[in-house]
Amino acid sequence: MDPIYLDHAATTPLRAEVRVAIEPYLGDTFGNPSSLHRWGREAAAALAEARATCATALGAHFSEIHFVRGGTESDNLAIQGRAARLRADGHIPTVAVSTVEHAAVLGAASQATARGAGRLETVPVAEDGSLDLDRLDRALAEPPTVVSLMWVNNETGMILPVEEVAARCRAAGATFHTDAVQAVGKVPVRVDVVPVDLLTATGHKLQGPKGTGLLFCREGTYLSPLLHGGGQERLLRPGTEDVAGAVGLAAALRLAVAEREAEAARLGALRAQLEGELAARIPGMRVNSGRAPRAPHIASVSLPGLDGTSLLVALDLEGLAVSGGAACHTGASSGSHVLAALYGADDPHATVRFSLGASTTAGDVVRAARVTASVVERLQAQEGGA
Amino acid sequence: MSRVLVAMSGGVDSSVAAALLKEAGHEVVGVTMKTFCYSGTPGHAKTCCGLDGIADARRVTMALDIPHYVFDVEEDFSRDVVDDFVSEYARGRTPNPCVRCNGNTKFRDLLARGRALECEAIASGHYVRWEEGPGGPRLRRGADRAKDQSYFLWELPRAILPRVRFPLGDLTKAQVRERARSLGLSTADKPESQEICFVPTGDYRDLLRRKLGPFHAAFQPGRLVDRRGNVLGEHDGFAGFTVGQRKGLGGGFGEPMFVLEIRPDTREVVVGTREELVAHHVEVGELNWLIEVPEAGTHLRVQLRYRAADVPALVLEAGDRVTLELLEDAAAVTPGQSAVFYDGERLLGGGRIVRAESAAA
Repeated sequence: MDPIYLDHAATTPLRAEVRVAIEPYLGDTFGNPSSLHRWGREAAAALAEARATCATALGAHFSEIHFVRGGTESDNLAIQGRAARLRADGHIPTVAVSTVEHAAVLGAASQATARGAGRLETVPVAEDGSLDLDRLDRALAEPPTVVSLMWVNNETGMILPVEEVAARCRAAGATFHTDAVQAVGKVPVRVDVVPVDLLTATGHKLQGPKGTGLLFCREGTYLSPLLHGGGQERLLRPGTEDVAGAVGLAAALRLAVAEREAEAARLGALRAQLEGELAARIPGMRVNSGRAPRAPHIASVSLPGLDGTSLLVALDLEGLAVSGGAACHTGASSGSHVLAALYGADDPHATVRFSLGASTTAGDVVRAARVTASVVERLQAQEGGA
Repeated sequence: MSRVLVAMSGGVDSSVAAALLKEAGHEVVGVTMKTFCYSGTPGHAKTCCGLDGIADARRVTMALDIPHYVFDVEEDFSRDVVDDFVSEYARGRTPNPCVRCNGNTKFRDLLARGRALECEAIASGHYVRWEEGPGGPRLRRGADRAKDQSYFLWELPRAILPRVRFPLGDLTKAQVRERARSLGLSTADKPESQEICFVPTGDYRDLLRRKLGPFHAAFQPGRLVDRRGNVLGEHDGFAGFTVGQRKGLGGGFGEPMFVLEIRPDTREVVVGTREELVAHHVEVGELNWLIEVPEAGTHLRVQLRYRAADVPALVLEAGDRVTLELLEDAAAVTPGQSAVFYDGERLLGGGRIVRAESAAA
């Protein structure tokens, strides 16, 4: 059968309009935006246009958008940069993160608080998406505090209470960062509505180019840079700007936000169909974060008594591209810290994450459900017989 | 067309094995086992054992247009191979971790994966010949005697023989490299791996010290004694010794002296002359047979070290353990090492050496 790509939460293909938008900046319009001459001016204008487009899409001001080289860099700049700035001002910061954050946030938080540089607080999240507010308040009671809570979880799609936590942080005088990499284009993300101080987004989850990202940094929130050099990106991210990347990110972000409402409704209906087909065929299946509010593009299901790696490989050999927990950098599967946080470290389930995107059709999800059910049935029969 | 799962280390042998199976019309699925992480050695060029191997295997599978996956066997490997390696040394024995890994970790995991993935067979790039025989499939030494790896495979469960394939069995290493070059494989001129994969520094004592702690008996000074009990000197820990070793004993003995035996209980290292090193009887345990268990009185050949020649032997007793009378001299027969049994070129099985005795003793 033709392979089906249902791994859009890992990454997405470049959108045709985005490719067209980038094209000139891979060709004749190659200048350095810092140059005074016409090549430089053209590049600087394109960069400014891209920045304005991103600002508009997120409800930010032009000068609050900083282009960086991806989501991981943006998370690190937000958390480590804010903690470093607080230390430079003579404070020992508290950094609070939830247990279901992306590795980029967990890594940045642990680096920002290593060797006595700060206090690290981990805030549990329940299966229904609710946060342990007592633990959060404990962190807020040891100021200055930097809180990072993702908007949408990348493994199960659950929506976290960003609005509520942002408001709580604002009231307590804490800095609030959100990794909105999986949220943009799927749920409403507006920094003029939700009082976040720092927000991370990336292009490649939105059919934009890989290696592109941005950090929204609200006017009046001060960071120390992680890299040192020239004055680009208001000193926060020195280095000659990737104009093509910024233009691509802006085009992808603008389209994703403009189409969000209709596309989210379409994906939500497909996801419901997928989960319905799976549940009808696979007894004992669990929908992860099934009781939490969820973004429409992710369906994470767990199956009892199976080996996760064999299941994913068997599905790939059948032409179905999905993932387990999150994609690991070697391709070897390892336990998911997110599922461990939600269901316990010795949860005996194998997990499959289906993530839907622009190319996904009703035919795809029906076929995906059939293939998955037949592979699961075969493997379960083997496990039972072995 | 049948589906075959091929273990690919990222070396030239397994690359060519996969290529040959593909040429033969099989649907080939490549897998690399991730066995060991050097997480304790920051700055090591390879952050993870096999990560370079994984990348090499991936490039080869792209060139061959076959799928490739990584299976994490770190937990099993650490328990069955590394912990075993450490505890064997702590008992004064000298283990063969590569034998352990093949028989206990890699093929066991491969077999389970192969079943889950509807594979008819599992394959590897070992130099060993697989052939149908009257009583079922059998294994023979590789055609390239310099590369023959049957010694490492005696632990394979007999029941899986119908489902294993070794496409390189009839080839020489030179032919394999030639094939790799003509196929344009990026691994064609990759050097052989020599070290034990989880001992990147080449000094296994670092690993033992880390795992056992510096105060373990294996690192405490002890006496060097001869067979008659005379104390000849001191050593600084039996972890540094293996039977047959000459280095590190100090000089001044008048004639070359070799390690004959390690006695972990008393921390004594027994040394003696070259003549005393020759064994005449061997007791072998932890057996695995690829044939029916032979009776006492059976003649076979036994190989007692990876690079040693096999010698004729007579089975004196066979059961949970086998006692062999060696019909030719074999030196430095070392507890913990593999004793691998052959009938001519045919692999019959093997076990771990428990004890060796010279006629004099």
